[in-house]
Amino acid sequence: MTIRKPVAAQRARPFTQWLVGLISSEYLVFGLTLLLVALLAPFTPGLVSIANLLNIAGYLLPLFIVAIGVTLVMITGGIDLSVTSVIALTSVVGAKLISADGSATPTVVGLVAMLALGAGLGAVNGGIITCLRLPAFIVTLASMMFLSGFAVWITQSKNIYNLPASFLALGKQLSIALGLTITLALCVQVVLQRTVYGRWLYAVGQNPTAAYISGVPVRAVTFAAYVVSGFCAALASVMLSARLETGSPVLGREILLDIIGATVVGGTSLFGGKGKIAWTFFGVLFLTVLDNALNLLNLSQFAITIAKGTVILLAAVLDATRHRLGRQNA
Amino acid sequence: MKRLYQRLLEFAPLFMFMVVLAFFGAQSSRFLEPRNLVNILVQASSTGIVAVGMTFVLLTAGVDLSVGAIMFVAAAVAGKMALAGLSLPFSLLAMLVVGWLVSAFNALFIARLRVPAFIVTLATLFIGRGLGLWITETRAMNLPDSFLQFGSARFLSVPVPAWLFGMAVVLAHLVLTHTSFGRQIFAVGHDAEMARKAGIRTEMVMAKVYLISGTCAAVAALVTLGQLGAVSPKFGEQKEFAAIAAAVLGGTSLFGGRGNVLPGTLLGAVLIQTIENGLVMTNANPYLYPMITSVVIFVAVFFESLRNRVSRPFSA
Repeated sequence: MTIRKPVAAQRARPFTQWLVGLISSEYLVFGLTLLLVALLAPFTPGLVSIANLLNIAGYLLPLFIVAIGVTLVMITGGIDLSVTSVIALTSVVGAKLISADGSATPTVVGLVAMLALGAGLGAVNGGIITCLRLPAFIVTLASMMFLSGFAVWITQSKNIYNLPASFLALGKQLSIALGLTITLALCVQVVLQRTVYGRWLYAVGQNPTAAYISGVPVRAVTFAAYVVSGFCAALASVMLSARLETGSPVLGREILLDIIGATVVGGTSLFGGKGKIAWTFFGVLFLTVLDNALNLLNLSQFAITIAKGTVILLAAVLDATRHRLGRQNA
Repeated sequence: MKRLYQRLLEFAPLFMFMVVLAFFGAQSSRFLEPRNLVNILVQASSTGIVAVGMTFVLLTAGVDLSVGAIMFVAAAVAGKMALAGLSLPFSLLAMLVVGWLVSAFNALFIARLRVPAFIVTLATLFIGRGLGLWITETRAMNLPDSFLQFGSARFLSVPVPAWLFGMAVVLAHLVLTHTSFGRQIFAVGHDAEMARKAGIRTEMVMAKVYLISGTCAAVAALVTLGQLGAVSPKFGEQKEFAAIAAAVLGGTSLFGGRGNVLPGTLLGAVLIQTIENGLVMTNANPYLYPMITSVVIFVAVFFESLRNRVSRPFSA
C-alpha cells in the first residue's frame, strides 16, 4: 500500500488529485464550516460577535454530548433512537426530585440520580439488544415511545418549575458546560484510540462474527456503548434543563434527527466500524452554525429545515463518493 | 416438539391479535360490535397504507423515513389547490404527483448514487417538512367539505378508507407473491450482490420500491385528509415510525428478504389500532396509550426474533 501508489492517483491530473485528497480529508466538514462562516459573515451582522458565539456554544454543547454517545453506538453498527426520550425522562425525574414543589432533595442527589437513570436506561436498551438479540432500531424505537410516554404520564404533561438556584447555576455558567463537554469528549476519544475497548468497539462494528471468533466480548462491548449513550443523554438533559430552568416531558423532542444528522454529516458510518469524536464535533458544529447563520439572516423555519436536509444529503453523497474512492485505491 | 414450537411462533402475531380482541371484548361489550370493528379498520387505514408501502422497502433491506413528510407535502399541495377552487380530482392527482416526485428523488440517490437509504430519506424528511411548512405558511389549513365527504363516504356499506386499505393490501400481496417483480424484491433483500449476479437489475427494483412507498404515502395522505379535513404543521409527523412498527409487528424483517403484506402488515397495522381503540373503549388513562403500544411492539418483535434465532447469531 505504501510502496505502490494507487493506480487512480497515478493517472490523475494534479487538480483531480487535489480534489480527491480534499474529499477524502477528514477535516472537510470543518473546512466547510469555516467557509460557511467566511461567506456569510459579511452579510450577517452579529454572526461572529461574542454574544452570538456564546449563543452557538449554548446550543452546541448539549447536542454534541448526546452525539458522542450516539457515535459510540453507531460505531458498533447500531443506532439509538431513544436518546431524546432519555433526555425528557431524566429531566422530569431530576426536576421532580430537586424542585421546591417536589421532594426538594439536595441538588447533588438529583444530579446523581439523573445520570444514574440515564445510564440505567441505556443499560436496559443495551441488555435487550445484546441478550435478546433484537435489532437496535426497533428496540430503541420502542423505548423511545415508551420513555417519552412515561415522562408525559408522570408529569401529566406539565412542566416542573421552581428548580433550586444551585442547579440553575449549571445552565448560567457556560464554563461549567464547556469544561464538562471537553473532558467527556477527550476521555471518549482517548478510550476510542488508545484502549483495547476502543479497538473492540471498531472490531464489533466492522464484523461482529469475526470479532467474536477472535475473542472479542461482542455483547459486553455493545452493551457498554448503549450505557454510555444513555449517560451522555442524561448529561445533556442536565444542561438543557438547567438552561431552560424547567423539567419538561417534551425536552429535546425535536433534536433527535439533528443528532443523527450531525453524526452522519461528520462521517460516522451508519453501518458501523467507522467514526471519531472529532468528526462528530465537526458535524454538530456545522449543523449548529448553519442553523444559527440562517436564523440571523432572518430566513424562516422552512428554509432552515430545507437547508439542513440538503446539507445532510450532500454529506451523504460525499461519504458515498469517498467510500467508492477508498475502494478504488485499496 | 421443536416443530410444534416453531409452528406456534409462526402464528405469534395472529395469536396476539386474538388475545387483544378477547381481552377488550371481555372488558367492554361494545368493543366487538361490527360497527366498532369497521371503525378500527377505518382508523388503521392511513397508517396501514403507509405500512404496505414500507413493507416493500423493508423487504429490500432499505428504509423510508420520508413517508410522513411526503404525506405533509401532498396534503399541503392538495389543500392549496382545493382552496384555490380546483375540483377534487385535480387535488388527488396533485397528491400522487407529489408522492412520485419525492420518492423519485429518494430513488435517484439510493439506487443510482448508492447513498444509504436511511440518510437519503432522513434528508428528504427535513426537506419535505420544510416545503410543507412553506406551502402552508406554518398555519393550519381547513379544507372544503368535499374531503370530509370523501372520507366518510361508503361503497357497498363499507367506508372508502377501508376499501383503499383493502385494495392496497390485496394488490401488494399479489405483486409480492405472484409476479417476477415480487420475487426480485425478495432476492434483492436477501443478497443484493447475488441478485445482481443472477441478472436482476437491482437498481430498478430498488427504485421501484421507493416509488411504491411514495405512492402509498400519497394515498394515505388522502385518507387522513378525509378523516381530519384539515392540514396542520404536524400532519403526518412520526408516521414513518408508526408504519415501520406496523410492518415489523407483522413479521417483516428490518434486514430484508423476509416478510409479507397479507396477513403480516395488515395484522400489524390493525393490531396497533385495535389496542388504541380498546383502550379508548375501556376508558383507560390516555397517558398509557404510547406505553402499552410500545410494549406490544416490543413483545411482538421478541417473538418474531425467536423464529430466526439460529440464522442471525450476532445482530447488534
